[in-house]
Amino acid sequence: MAEEARQRTLDTSNLSALEAFIADAVSASKAKVNEAQLLGGGAIQENWRVNVTVEDGPRAGDHTWVMRTDAAAVLSLSLDRASEFAVLQAAHGAGARAAEPIARCERDDIIGAPFLIQGFARGNAQARKIVRDPGLANWGSSLAADLAKQLARIHTVRPSNAEISALPVPIGNPAHQEIAKFRAALDGSPEPRPALEYVLCWLAENAPYYGRELALVHGDFRTGNYLVDDGQLTAILDWEFSHWGDPDEDIGWFCANCWRFGNAQLQAGGIASYADFIAPYEEAAGRKLDALKLRYWEIMAAAKWATIAHLQGDRYRKSGEQSVELALTGLMVTELELEAIDGLKAYEAGRGVY
Amino acid sequence: MPRISAETLIELAIQTLKTDVRDNLSGEGRYPLAMTINALETARREIMCEPEAATWALLDEIYDDGEGSLKELAKDIRAGTITDDTHPQLRARLEKHLIAELEVRNPRALKGRAHDAE
Repeated sequence: MAEEARQRTLDTSNLSALEAFIADAVSASKAKVNEAQLLGGGAIQENWRVNVTVEDGPRAGDHTWVMRTDAAAVLSLSLDRASEFAVLQAAHGAGARAAEPIARCERDDIIGAPFLIQGFARGNAQARKIVRDPGLANWGSSLAADLAKQLARIHTVRPSNAEISALPVPIGNPAHQEIAKFRAALDGSPEPRPALEYVLCWLAENAPYYGRELALVHGDFRTGNYLVDDGQLTAILDWEFSHWGDPDEDIGWFCANCWRFGNAQLQAGGIASYADFIAPYEEAAGRKLDALKLRYWEIMAAAKWATIAHLQGDRYRKSGEQSVELALTGLMVTELELEAIDGLKAYEAGRGVY
Repeated sequence: MPRISAETLIELAIQTLKTDVRDNLSGEGRYPLAMTINALETARREIMCEPEAATWALLDEIYDDGEGSLKELAKDIRAGTITDDTHPQLRARLEKHLIAELEVRNPRALKGRAHDAE
């Protein structure tokens, strides 16, 4: 999760190289990029919407695609683009509503860094707009149910049926693997967080037994990382934190208080109730969820977001990156630590999330 | 005669941003402005309190007077040398420290917390 900073962007000097790459990748004699627009919202990745004309071959015609590449500051916890492409292929192949994977480039001599190209999906991903949409009362429940079914499909992808060689298969308890990642990230931070260390020790001691085959965990499945168009889910985004793990991790992350964007009473991502999300997931996945175990994973979610927020603050502390948004995000670690401590007290009292 | 302190200057800057600047900004400009106001309000709260006091109170509970640091505490907790068993008040002290920190960083997050934690 340590950071690496560099300068790079798509510009007119590398368009022709990009066009040649695309033509080769889609088996065409020629491809032309008519327009490229940087899309907002990627704190870690750069996302470009590109309008491309493919002259011939199986994808002949006009297309709107998304080119996804690393941004100037990279969290090393993120997958590289080749691995993300493989995950996207597996999820798309499992029938999940993920953008269609088109091509991947592992070379850095085209635009300066590896990238992938995927299908473009219409819609809004801005969490605060979604949770404050006046139409939410009409479509929030059905959107949550659709998300639950999609998540169950993602979780059908297993190490034994997907060739995603870049994703290491953890040995031992998957919760311990997550904790190890956060500790490694905190090791590089100049500002110590004793409360977060305390929460991580608690999580390690109370890790739930996991006796099934590991599943593909999206790793950042939350409001803000899917597209909604007129109340309908159009695509699940941002697969760069995917890994093999306990599928309940995704559910805890989606429902954690820190991802409700002020709609605390709508526990499922700030858009619907637990029941609206949990019941369709249980039906689609064919297994019953445990409310106390979900409490555990919501505590893990607070610890994970606390770690990431702290690292965002480190971008100023360590690299001097001038951004009031990053500085304020860094200060959020405190409320997330407190949220985690409140959660572990509820867990010890035997209170599940519903 | 009242002194024009750092706190006063920050307060005046916040008021100016809220009254003279915000109304003249488009939707896109309002988000960075809101963040800037938030940052200034946090800075003002930090000037008004003594943020180190809570840290010393926490460390004094764990270590001998004048010894220990947050870095050492974080390390000792991870190593398992400081635990709830060795220091039964550890969790409560950490919580108190976080509350003091949050009173500066985001006091709104404390509202309703007692109810949620019930």
